[in-house]
Amino acid sequence: MEEEKSSPPSDLTSESSLEHTDHDSNKATPLKKIDVLLKATGDAPIMRKKKWAVEGDKRVGWVADFIRKYLKLNSSDNLFLYVNQSFAPAPDQLVRNLYQCFGSDGKLVLHYCRTQAWG
Amino acid sequence: MAEDREILREVWDGRVPVCIQLASEDHNTLSAPDPYYLMVPRLSYFPLLMDKVRKHFLRFISPDLHEEEMWLESDGMPLKWHYPVGVLFDLHCGGSSLPWALTAHFSHFPEHDLIRCPSREVVESHFMSSVKEADGLKHRGQIITNMQSKDHKQLWMGLCNDKFDQFWAINCKLMECLPEEGFKFIPFRIHFPCQPSLQRLIKPQTDDGRKVTLEELLQEFLPRGEGDRVVIQGIEVPRDTPLQWMSEHLSHPDNFLHICHIPTQG
Repeated sequence: MEEEKSSPPSDLTSESSLEHTDHDSNKATPLKKIDVLLKATGDAPIMRKKKWAVEGDKRVGWVADFIRKYLKLNSSDNLFLYVNQSFAPAPDQLVRNLYQCFGSDGKLVLHYCRTQAWG
Repeated sequence: MAEDREILREVWDGRVPVCIQLASEDHNTLSAPDPYYLMVPRLSYFPLLMDKVRKHFLRFISPDLHEEEMWLESDGMPLKWHYPVGVLFDLHCGGSSLPWALTAHFSHFPEHDLIRCPSREVVESHFMSSVKEADGLKHRGQIITNMQSKDHKQLWMGLCNDKFDQFWAINCKLMECLPEEGFKFIPFRIHFPCQPSLQRLIKPQTDDGRKVTLEELLQEFLPRGEGDRVVIQGIEVPRDTPLQWMSEHLSHPDNFLHICHIPTQG
């Protein structure tokens, strides 16, 4: 049912729309979104747009589902996410926790791949 | 130090008694099957301990549920298998009544609250990921990446088989640091009974070389938690305990210090 959809889910905003929302800061977005940079590894398809603003209380599993949708993978297809090119965070880990501990230069870098890359 | 090794041993030997009942909606017999009692190691993970329990209950459930994943619940809360047993116990039971009463389910898997655990290998890779993450915080990942894969295996098998010496022969390398410096950061998570865990960066020492204590960690990340209980490995650790010492002695095998924040009732 999601196949038709080519645009990302509405709660992810692109850089440009993030700039836009910055103007009305009184809106119901109490916490600043986190810039997440998604990088393909191995034979994973590359995403044309790599940098996304994500709410900090989203889970890692939610980001994985988003990538699956964007790349039009099945929900059953394997997709692995890695931080620091070293460890796979639990799917219920919050993006904010990872950003606070492993973010650098104002963003969190996540590598994604379709087979286990870093054991 | 001998004294310290005794503490590691005490922590390793921690057990909690559990009594597991089959969910009433899942048994297809007239009367409920007998509950299953067992002592479970605090440092282990439920999927590693449930083979016998699953087998015990299979006789009482309808055949179409036989392939389903078994999940556990404590007083209405689904239990996250990827948290160590002791963390779940401190969060959801705390020893108010023993044994800890759990319910085993074979249907209605709570997809929103739990991650699927199709095999022991999933537990292993979750565990190794946590060890790598912790070493990333402590030593920029240098120790774990320089280890051989047989060392990784020995850590995991030591935990699975409850072999203290086997596990610590490797784990002591992950705890190495210069005494005057400590780890780069202390790997810790704060858990709450009903909300997502919190993880942040904290150094074991201030810039002028003073040891940072549990009290300072709590003040920084839980400023409004006065009066609430803070439990680590089942004990309320004195608040002036240095974080570096806690990280070396009270961490779980995944090398994280798991801090349970229990709000006062009412």
